[in-house]
Amino acid sequence: MAEPQSNFAPIKPARPWRQHLWDGVLPEALGLCFVAIILAALAAGYLVADHFWQKQSQATTRTHAENLAQALATALGAREEPDEQTLAALAQGLSRCFQLRSVRWTAADGTLRLVWPPQLRAAATPPAEAQAGQRLVTLTVPVRSPTGQPMGDLLIVHEADDRHGYRTFLLLNWGGAAGLTLLAFAAFHQRLRRHLRPVAAIERSLHSYVAGVEKELLSLQLSDSLGSIARGWNTLIEQLAATQQQLRNAQQAQAGPYVAARLENTLFRRVVDRLPFGLICTGPDQRITYANPSAAALLARPVDGLVGRPAGEVIDNPAVSQAIAGAEAGCRAGLSVDHTTKDKDHESTLRFRIMPMPEPASGGIIITVEDISQLREGQRARDNFLYHVTHELRTPLTNIAAYAETLTQPGFDDEQTRKECYNVLISETRRLSRLVEDILSISQLEVGTARLDIGQVDLLRLVRQMVQDNLGAADEKGIDLTLSVPPKVPKINGDKQRLSVLLNNLIGNAVKYTPSGGKVQVSLEVDQRQVRIAVKDTGIGIAPEDAPHVFEKFYRAADQAVQAVPGTGLGLALAREVARLHGGDIFLESEKGKGSVFTLELPLSPTEAAEVTAR
Amino acid sequence: MSRILVAEDDPHILRLISMWLTRHGHEVIEARNGLVARELISTQPVDVLVSDVNMPGMDGLNLVETVYGTGQVRHGVIVLTNRWDHGEIGERLADWGVQVIAKPFSPSRLSELIESMTAGTRRAGRPAHSAGTPDQQSTSQEAGAP
Repeated sequence: MAEPQSNFAPIKPARPWRQHLWDGVLPEALGLCFVAIILAALAAGYLVADHFWQKQSQATTRTHAENLAQALATALGAREEPDEQTLAALAQGLSRCFQLRSVRWTAADGTLRLVWPPQLRAAATPPAEAQAGQRLVTLTVPVRSPTGQPMGDLLIVHEADDRHGYRTFLLLNWGGAAGLTLLAFAAFHQRLRRHLRPVAAIERSLHSYVAGVEKELLSLQLSDSLGSIARGWNTLIEQLAATQQQLRNAQQAQAGPYVAARLENTLFRRVVDRLPFGLICTGPDQRITYANPSAAALLARPVDGLVGRPAGEVIDNPAVSQAIAGAEAGCRAGLSVDHTTKDKDHESTLRFRIMPMPEPASGGIIITVEDISQLREGQRARDNFLYHVTHELRTPLTNIAAYAETLTQPGFDDEQTRKECYNVLISETRRLSRLVEDILSISQLEVGTARLDIGQVDLLRLVRQMVQDNLGAADEKGIDLTLSVPPKVPKINGDKQRLSVLLNNLIGNAVKYTPSGGKVQVSLEVDQRQVRIAVKDTGIGIAPEDAPHVFEKFYRAADQAVQAVPGTGLGLALAREVARLHGGDIFLESEKGKGSVFTLELPLSPTEAAEVTAR
Repeated sequence: MSRILVAEDDPHILRLISMWLTRHGHEVIEARNGLVARELISTQPVDVLVSDVNMPGMDGLNLVETVYGTGQVRHGVIVLTNRWDHGEIGERLADWGVQVIAKPFSPSRLSELIESMTAGTRRAGRPAHSAGTPDQQSTSQEAGAP
């Protein structure tokens, strides 16, 4: 079974730091650096601009101040006796146009002549010093009379141009740019985070999925322009989940309709359908998912009547149900249960073998069904055979042991008794030998190693010999044993030894199962195709229910009259096997209580048939 | 001398037992099946019954059942069998005091058993009992039955 993860190309696990960076830190750091650079650039620009502006302002102010001071000095020098009012008038007039803060006129001898504004007279220092921090320009200009006489120095304090306004403007512009940059970064950052975090989560999910830690992949939630990618991804994992579910369903019902459907029209299915024994598969719910025709025939139901039904319901046997439960519970060893059913004249036994499906995860069980009725029948026949063989072996053994012991006893040493003992020992030894021979023959026939020693067989002579051999037993029971033969019978190719056993069994059986005073007629007929030897008796006959079985090995009818006669149930089985090995067969006609006719038919070869025609 | 009836369908075994018991001075009555044996016993009681189990007509077990308690077998019953379930037969007939001997058997042991049956009864001075009575069982044990 293929792992679902193998559908993906291998993904190289990301290093933690890289994963961490991808998780939003790196973009944030990069963004912050970018913002910092922009802010630094703005700040540097501001400082440079401020510096140059300040320089320019100072130069302009100085020019203004120099012009102003020159104008004041000229104006004051042109007056004969300028007083403070004059100075005030001049200064106020000028201060309207210039940012004149104060004026001090110091005489050549160092005495202070005029001050504007007058309240500064008391101040020892210029206003520029008193108001530290203000940007003021202080200039000293000599004052001369119109004749050129020095009249002292004029100290003016001039306020710098409107640099506050400029700075505000600069700050507003530069600050705005920085603020906008920060805002842009924040927006970018937010957007990046919104997109990268789900992607990073998906990557982690993929790694976990591939490693088998997680069974499902995360869905992707993205909006805006990446929404189509997210929808594609989500559709993909939905399809993957559906496929995995289908796989799981198929695995759970491995022998279920899914697999059964897969089995359709495959070579394997055709082979399984033709198995000589029943095969039943169930799903995890113990319902039958497959049954081959043999199973249906053995359970006497149509295949459609099996599939879909619980196995325990179809096979109504508690031991089978228990075995099914055991297999379901994981019992790996196959369990075997024999189920015997009886109707009025037939007993059949089915052997169920129950074992779990090879793949434990899929659940379900496999049940094979075999008809072991014949096996049981064979076992019974064998037990019966052993019973009779034991009985039959003990009889000659008893005689041999008892007569042998008799020979050793001092009271039994007369000639007649010894002779009698020896005769019994010899006959019983022969009997034992024949019995062993029969058992060996039947064993050979069972394993298929029986071979014929083919030669020319004079059937007429052989039949006469066999009748002769049974005359003693027939006379003992007062049975009239007769033989009817044509004047000439062709010699046939066959195994004389086995044919003599065959005929002896047929004639011997007729004598054994015919009551005293009965008749046994042996007749031999020849036509152009075959030799027919019939053994007809007026014996106990064979019941119709026993007739089909009399040629089976070890079979003996349960009839009291049959059981009263010693026998192993081998004679007729051996006889028919020998007949069939010669290409012929034995047929039975019988009526219970009236007698039987066993007819042996042996085919003639073309040469033998020609001999018959030539007569 | 005791009257002993031997019921056996195998002529050789019948002849052998008859030969042995005759040599030991007993009167032997032969029967080739259970029906004949029952008929003979009913006309003339016997001291000991020796019977095979599997016989045509009436088997040995039915024969023993028929004569049990009738007083027609005075000293005891011995059953010979070549059946593989002779142990079960022995248990089944133990309550009736019947001795079961599996084939192949030793004729000398059989003779000894019959001698002990008849001699023990005579030694105890008891009147004859029918086969299978409690007295018969005790007699068999007293006689040292195997």
